[in-house]
Amino acid sequence: MKGANTTSMDRRTLLKLTGAAGATTGLSAIAGCLGDEDPAGDVDELTVTLSQFPDTIDPLDHITGDYFDIYDHIYEPLFDFEPGEGIFPRVVDDWEIQEGEGATELYIRDDVEFHNGDDLTAEDIAWTIDRTVDPDMGVVSDIGSFGLGSIEGAEALDETTVQVNYEAAPGLAEFEFGNYARALNMEWAIENHDAENEEISGAEAEDFNGTGPYEVVEFTSGEQIVVERFDDYWGQEPPFERVVFNADGESSGRVSSLEAGETDLTINILPEDVTTVREADDVEIRQVTSFRNIFCPMKNTVEPFDSQEFRQAMNYAVDNEGIVDEILNGFGEPRGQPIAPGINGFNEDIEPYEQDLGTAESLVEESGYGGVEIELTVPQGRYLNDAEVGETVADQIDQLDNVDCEANVVDFGIVSDANSAGVDPDEFEIPFYLIGWGTITGDTDYGVQGFFTIPDNPARTFDDEELSDEIIESQEIEDPDERREQLEYVNELAHEKAPFVFLHTQESIYGVREDIQWDPREDETVYLWEMET
Amino acid sequence: MISDRVKSNLKRTFFQSLLPKIGLVLLVSIILMATFAPLLATHDPTRTGYYDEQGAEYPPIGHEYTGSIAEDGEIVEITVEPTSEHILGTNNVGQDVYSRFLYGARVSLLVGVLGTIMALAIGVPVGLIAGYYGGRVDDALMRVADTMLAFPALVLALALIGVFGESPVMVPDPFVMIGLADGMPEAIPIPGTVTIVVGLVSWVWFARVARGEALAIRNEEYVKAAKSFGTSDRTILLQHVLPNSLTPIIVLATIQIAVIILLEASLAYLGFSGTTLSWGYEIERGQDVLRTRPWVSMFPGIGIVLTVIGVNLLGDWFRDALDPNIEGEGR
Amino acid sequence: MNVGKFLLRRVLQGIFVIWGVVTIMFGLRAVSPGDPATLMLGEGATQELIEHVREQEGLNEPIYVQYFDYLQGLIVGDFGYSWRSNREVEAMVIERIPATVELAVVATIVAVVIAIPLGVISATRRNQPSDYGATMFSLLGISTPNFWLGLMLILLFGVWIGVLPTGRRAVGFGEAMVTLVQYGSATGLITWLQHIALPAITLGTYFTALITRLTRSGMIDELGKPYVTASRAKGLPNVLVRYKHVLRNTMIPIITVLGLQMGTLMGGAVITETVFNWPGLGLRLIDALDARDWPLMQGIVVFIAIAFVTINIFVDAIYSYLNPQVNE
Repeated sequence: MKGANTTSMDRRTLLKLTGAAGATTGLSAIAGCLGDEDPAGDVDELTVTLSQFPDTIDPLDHITGDYFDIYDHIYEPLFDFEPGEGIFPRVVDDWEIQEGEGATELYIRDDVEFHNGDDLTAEDIAWTIDRTVDPDMGVVSDIGSFGLGSIEGAEALDETTVQVNYEAAPGLAEFEFGNYARALNMEWAIENHDAENEEISGAEAEDFNGTGPYEVVEFTSGEQIVVERFDDYWGQEPPFERVVFNADGESSGRVSSLEAGETDLTINILPEDVTTVREADDVEIRQVTSFRNIFCPMKNTVEPFDSQEFRQAMNYAVDNEGIVDEILNGFGEPRGQPIAPGINGFNEDIEPYEQDLGTAESLVEESGYGGVEIELTVPQGRYLNDAEVGETVADQIDQLDNVDCEANVVDFGIVSDANSAGVDPDEFEIPFYLIGWGTITGDTDYGVQGFFTIPDNPARTFDDEELSDEIIESQEIEDPDERREQLEYVNELAHEKAPFVFLHTQESIYGVREDIQWDPREDETVYLWEMET
Repeated sequence: MISDRVKSNLKRTFFQSLLPKIGLVLLVSIILMATFAPLLATHDPTRTGYYDEQGAEYPPIGHEYTGSIAEDGEIVEITVEPTSEHILGTNNVGQDVYSRFLYGARVSLLVGVLGTIMALAIGVPVGLIAGYYGGRVDDALMRVADTMLAFPALVLALALIGVFGESPVMVPDPFVMIGLADGMPEAIPIPGTVTIVVGLVSWVWFARVARGEALAIRNEEYVKAAKSFGTSDRTILLQHVLPNSLTPIIVLATIQIAVIILLEASLAYLGFSGTTLSWGYEIERGQDVLRTRPWVSMFPGIGIVLTVIGVNLLGDWFRDALDPNIEGEGR
Repeated sequence: MNVGKFLLRRVLQGIFVIWGVVTIMFGLRAVSPGDPATLMLGEGATQELIEHVREQEGLNEPIYVQYFDYLQGLIVGDFGYSWRSNREVEAMVIERIPATVELAVVATIVAVVIAIPLGVISATRRNQPSDYGATMFSLLGISTPNFWLGLMLILLFGVWIGVLPTGRRAVGFGEAMVTLVQYGSATGLITWLQHIALPAITLGTYFTALITRLTRSGMIDELGKPYVTASRAKGLPNVLVRYKHVLRNTMIPIITVLGLQMGTLMGGAVITETVFNWPGLGLRLIDALDARDWPLMQGIVVFIAIAFVTINIFVDAIYSYLNPQVNE
């Protein structure tokens, strides 16, 4: 497997050669007998503690977050996606772009089974895609409007061929369906859950039915979900027999569980808790710079944010280097464009804005908004030390002689609503807020399109014809190199027009049992099948 | 209204036991602390960014902090020494814990007192009217009161915040206005909606007490006499019933200040208060760093406990001295 | 007044209270900002679909029609569907009851077991060191915010001493009992106890303190009454007098106060469950508040109100049984 390092190979070979593998089995058998005494003693069980338990069981309802760390094992993605490299075959064996037709044909494996025993057909996939993108047919979610934003629909051509139709360059569409295409069992979903009009909901293990390597055996809403290997899985047998997913909203609580051996892997550890994990036995910290940028959008249809000088001044007021060092304890990188390094179209030449209070103050004067009072709305508990970052940003802006700025710390839902409230001044109350965006498709388009394009995008946060046109132009360029250059230009333009106060790219910090071989991914997803013990 | 007998009772119980003295000392110190916060504070409590050169928060005097930071992808251990600049250390955003401790007292006390006044203003008239008129009026008002008791304060808080927003009220600082405390905030925000909410969920207790007193008094001879002279109900309520109910209401008000301070802290802890300069909010902030920087939540918690103990001891003193008949207390 | 009639009256009053809570919740939802259809569908819904949902959910009906529809549903036990997860609200409430009941019951037991002896000792040894100790303890108990207490307990027992888990309900009481009965293994029960210990102490401390205070002052009042002196004069042993009569008479007002404090207990449970990530009704309420999931919020609040009213009627029943000459 890619990314698995050689030492794991050596250890396994060694175990085989010395017969130690047999000894391990013996041990696990004893542990099995003692199961009643110590349920966690079973060596082939893994417990994963997330920071948020999924609030819905419909696999098409959320675009990002802990949710996928569970559901991807049940409803597997159709492709393997490697951050920065592209997509590889999985359920879809092969695919072919239909030049000039705005379509790609997907050829799926013929040996894939759902957990209830039904065979996967092309029709299932086509229906699932339609259910995601057609708001009149299924679940309404960000996947439909952002994740699969350029996908128009799909149809089954025969038992194993699906044609996906889109209205953008094939390269862009591929980033989208490569990430977000899943397979639901159409008949099952409609019969049991009326899924053509409603979300799938329920509280029983039987309410899940995917083709993934794990099937659900136990589900306690809001608490835990237990999965076991699916015996008839078409692919490679996954590494653990049984996996328990649960959640704890506090980083300190997750770390306690890890320390106490109650969990084997946990996500979103705060920088403050890193030391605790490092000092605990048999567990360690693993971190990676994620695809998630943190920034503060400024809606330019209201004062004072309609002035480019003022927006740039806000960027000059903030000390990104200091925030990364002090609030994130170094677990991040200052950033000056909407997306993170490693993403198609990232512009290496753009430096972050450097704090310069003098420049900031004179830019504010130039903008004519000297003496203005503004408020920054900040979510709590969503991103790495988000409230602290926001309060610091607000205070640094407040230190300008000619601007007063207060932070207002709120629940994430309010920020999320603000972000999708659009740019019509009558429709929103919060023009300036802190939010994060993970460009998990690995392509700039996903990081800029939703915020900046004007046509058919009432939820945009910035109203600028030039920026919008350049993005739309990029969506139609078929040549990959040419498209990348255009995206780099889009990022440069965004830097200059300053639709955001650019802050940083955050790191994903995980606490993991030492003997689990696994490298964290930039797209924040945890795949059990990428692990080895 | 306050008779000589009451005065002498207060005096006697005060000297009888140590507890009222402790309560008075605690409360007076906290009130002084809150009042003179701008003069006592060493830093602007809202100013962020007080970190040592490694970018880490300062521990309180007498403690050393060891932690990890990432440098170019590598995790390295650091040790942070305390500084006399920040005697109680700094919090997760690099604010001075000591200065925030002082200002936190202002918010707690102000909300406690304003919330209680609000509860008094609703509860006492309702209770008096219910008790005085009795019958249907009494029944209706008391059912409303029961409904309030069955209603979780949090839900009411959230709904009202949803409707009215958090509406922080900026209270200007007199010391800064006359130039005695330069560099301190010109005004501090008091959470407006939360003050109303804590009042709304607490009035019931006043209504119950006032009703009980009114019930007892309305059958007294002098009230009957006043009635027969044709004195209006309003006058009777204001001149006879209210003054006689004052003692238990004062005792209850003291206890309620404590209860409301705790309620405000809980709401701020759950993130519903809308101001960050509050002991409850500070505890929630410290929860993220509980294991490594326990001082961030420890000191504001101590602040709440000491204040509430002070208020409660005072309440006990009043209760012992005035001996009203109050059934329990609410929180 | 006869007891049956009195209780019937209380039940009718209780129904009125529940109706009041339902109505206030409905009113709050009606005036709260945010379009229900949009909240239900999430971002990115088409106007067409929003309109469809509005029609389907009856959101286009006049407000009083919606109100009567909601009331009608409640009467037959239909609380509607959660906006967020689309599940039936009844199911979402019911599945969370055991965790909260476990917590509340253990906290109450802890409180009663500690508080009553403490109060008795305090009252019978007035102004002695043990009285001062008990008084200081109860003062601290009613003055400490429970979320802070919870955090400090986590710090002390979970982190510094490291003997108790700091959160999450690893196993339910029911499951623990099953392992005990079926396999004769106490492991489940021990795990249950370990996990519930800190949350129960956190929730129970305020009540322990409150009951200690009430017991102390109630006992002091009772001990001063003529019948006590008379019994003593008759030569009844001191201990018997103290427990049989005095304590029984002291308990009556304490039970009433505890009934009224059930609301406080629920409020405390919300916070305790948040601090310890305890999967009860309180945590679900906070989740519902965060998601502005009104049907779920309403369901939980109405359930809490029903529990509150029922417990108080029960308390009144005990009260009128113990003390038949009760009048309003």
